Amino acid sequence: MNKNKYLVVYTKFLYTSLASELEYKTNIIIDAITAILSLVGSIFLLSIFFQNTGNIGGWKFEQALIIQGIYTVLNGITNTWFNPNLREIVRHVREGTLDFVLLKPVDSQFFISLKKISPSGFLEIILGVCLLFYCIKINQIKLSLNFLILCLITITCSICILYSLWFFISTTTIWFVKTWNATEVLRSLLYIGRFPMSSFSFSLRLFFSIIIPIAFITTIPSEVFLGFAQIWKVILEIFITLIFLITSRRFWLFALKYYSSASS
Amino acid sequence: MVENIIEVERLSKSFNISSKDPGLRGTLKHFFNRETKSVKVIKNINFQIKEGEIIGFLGANGAGKTTILKMLCGLIVPSEGSISVSGCLPYRRREGFLKNITLIMGQKQQLIWDLPPIESFYLNASIYDIDKFEAKRRIKKLSDMLEIEDELYIPVRKLSLGQRMKSELLAALIHKPKILFLDEPTLGLDINAQRNLREFLKAYNNENNATICLTSHYMKDITSLCKRVICVHNGSISYDGKLEKLLKKLSPVKEVLIVCSSEKDANKLDNSGFKVKSKVKNEITLKIENRNVSSSLRTILNNYDIEDLFINEPPIDEIIEKILVKKKYTF
Amino acid sequence: MRKIFTLLKVQYSNMLEYRVEIALWAVSGIIPFFMLNIWTNNNLNEAININNIMLSRYFLSAFFVRQFSVVWVVFSFEEDALLGKLSPYIIQPLNPFFRYFTQHIAEQITRFPFALIIAFLFFLFNPESIWFPNLIFLFLSFISTFLSFLIQFLIQSIIACLCFWTEKASSIERLFFIPTLFLSGLLAPVASFPKYVKSWIYFTPFPYLIDFPANLLSGNKTNISEGFIMQIFWILLLFPLFTKIWYEGTKKYTAMGS
Repeated sequence: MNKNKYLVVYTKFLYTSLASELEYKTNIIIDAITAILSLVGSIFLLSIFFQNTGNIGGWKFEQALIIQGIYTVLNGITNTWFNPNLREIVRHVREGTLDFVLLKPVDSQFFISLKKISPSGFLEIILGVCLLFYCIKINQIKLSLNFLILCLITITCSICILYSLWFFISTTTIWFVKTWNATEVLRSLLYIGRFPMSSFSFSLRLFFSIIIPIAFITTIPSEVFLGFAQIWKVILEIFITLIFLITSRRFWLFALKYYSSASS
Repeated sequence: MVENIIEVERLSKSFNISSKDPGLRGTLKHFFNRETKSVKVIKNINFQIKEGEIIGFLGANGAGKTTILKMLCGLIVPSEGSISVSGCLPYRRREGFLKNITLIMGQKQQLIWDLPPIESFYLNASIYDIDKFEAKRRIKKLSDMLEIEDELYIPVRKLSLGQRMKSELLAALIHKPKILFLDEPTLGLDINAQRNLREFLKAYNNENNATICLTSHYMKDITSLCKRVICVHNGSISYDGKLEKLLKKLSPVKEVLIVCSSEKDANKLDNSGFKVKSKVKNEITLKIENRNVSSSLRTILNNYDIEDLFINEPPIDEIIEKILVKKKYTF
Repeated sequence: MRKIFTLLKVQYSNMLEYRVEIALWAVSGIIPFFMLNIWTNNNLNEAININNIMLSRYFLSAFFVRQFSVVWVVFSFEEDALLGKLSPYIIQPLNPFFRYFTQHIAEQITRFPFALIIAFLFFLFNPESIWFPNLIFLFLSFISTFLSFLIQFLIQSIIACLCFWTEKASSIERLFFIPTLFLSGLLAPVASFPKYVKSWIYFTPFPYLIDFPANLLSGNKTNISEGFIMQIFWILLLFPLFTKIWYEGTKKYTAMGS
């Protein structure tokens, strides 16, 4: 595999998709307002929970805000990368242009899951990062190299898990074509990620750690932020990330096999 | 010696198809129990294509043309038999193979909708490992051939269908493929754009000695481009050979309209042993077998006083349409 | 009327085709249950004077109301406009929104069994919250759910008509969905909102979308007459707005001739 070529192609992807998004300027503004309102709404909801109590599942309001921050960043990433590409895959399958992609001499997963980028999530990422900085301040977190590295690792893992989940759903398009509803299921499950895992009952916690690893997506990075994550949790997260990445890759190859033996 | 660039042997393909009865009851039945059955769409076909040939695939809708094309470019895995395209197994989709071929489907577009086509070209160039200068050179050359210099900088969604198709072609040919697969490339284009496209394909074929496989519903595409055609009927090949031969087989006669200077001459001609189709005053239409055309005409010109003369080419389009429509055609 | 009935029949068999998708959609509405879990697991409900059982009934009702008032006209409309299906619809002697309307009703009928299954599972885990509302309230909540559906349908249709002016109306819908999500009572009953929000929220359409019908269904306290009056008020306000924007939109569409 020629790494240099993939870099060149990716910069082209970046350029072309940003250029085409800029054709719809009002859209970007509306999406920006949506992002702000959405963050305000979730903080509002959180404040409702905290209006009569000091902590939820052992998390104080200031600590729970970290989860909001990480969730917002990840949601921004989803809106910037994962969701637009999913939409693109659905279009490819429905219009039969997936054939063009498969005949390109680049890895089809690379092409199909990274081709699009939409600036509408940028603001969310920025807002989330700002919120995180604010949280670092109000929670009096000491910054150290160790801390930064751990944060980076766990957040990267979260992004990879999220990517795998989204790509998994994208892949099912090959059978079902209409995956909007599956996306909605994923979105509503991910919604859980806005709250600390420990605020849910044991059975739900179990479900969201084992079956859909939402616990790993936001709660563990937040714990790392607060400095009370055990190291085994981080290692576990890395392990799970690898499993997810490999499975989603395998699933895609399997889907392609099906596509090329059954499509007409 | 020109060698076979495409070799297909005992190729078959079956699909599983689920069926549904119409109406609410059918839907409910479908709800609980989807019936699937295996349908053999391609049945044991063989053919070879030499480098530089232009081959037309003819057949009615659903005859299996597109399936064959997709198997040749590696999008569909064959159920049985073997395919070799420029020495590779297509369905492995190796990089070296992919850089050698291209697929163009009419009305299916790969260009980025909101951007000028030039952006898509450079994107494709980077995908095919072509550096910027080389890409620029090729875009220049191809756009000259296609006559679309100005349209390169207009967003695709604002282009007309013909311009868009030309841009599609450019995007598909930027890596100088040796083998072109075209599925209904002229679908929806007006006559002018169709002709331009055909001329371009001819020129491209000449210049690069590229092999072109195309399916089309427009007979003009086939008749003006292809020397050799493969007729597909119900998943089998019913004819494989020269187009002219096919035409001769199907229409052994030409129609000659002769305008005589007087009605008397026309009457004389009427009784001279030629097969007469119709006669109106001094105009008479004769049916003459292909191999006798020149000698018969010489006789007529020498012996009769003739004002004007028209040779109606056999209506090829109609003839080929007959192949498409007829359930079974024996050759 | 017969037209609508025939359309409904066709749409229903069409929707049955998409049963997997509709089942998934039903599943995607389970957020209220997660919220319930947070409320009860942290004893947050004591502060707002709703006991666990009533709260779980409330969230189950909210789930049901949401299931039968989900609207997605914008997305269908935008897709149809993009694929050029709109022109044939416009020349038919039937407002295309009737088509979407019956589509929604048909989809809700298809969705009903899946919603029941989810409710059944819910009762399996929370047997103490089983209840059966008396028939009058059941009927009233049914009416108010339908009115809530109408309000959302009208709002979305108005947004959908913006397709005539801007290419992507669905992003406006996504913007509008945010207040709907947080203020309608789907994630927390309006009763639990802080005072400064409660003071103005009843003048907006949001609490009548989910909170009001869900309260009716679950037997929680609510002002019945005011709720219905406000629902009807919003429908009466939105309907002329919709006809106006539809009229202007089609005029623009036909003038452009694309």
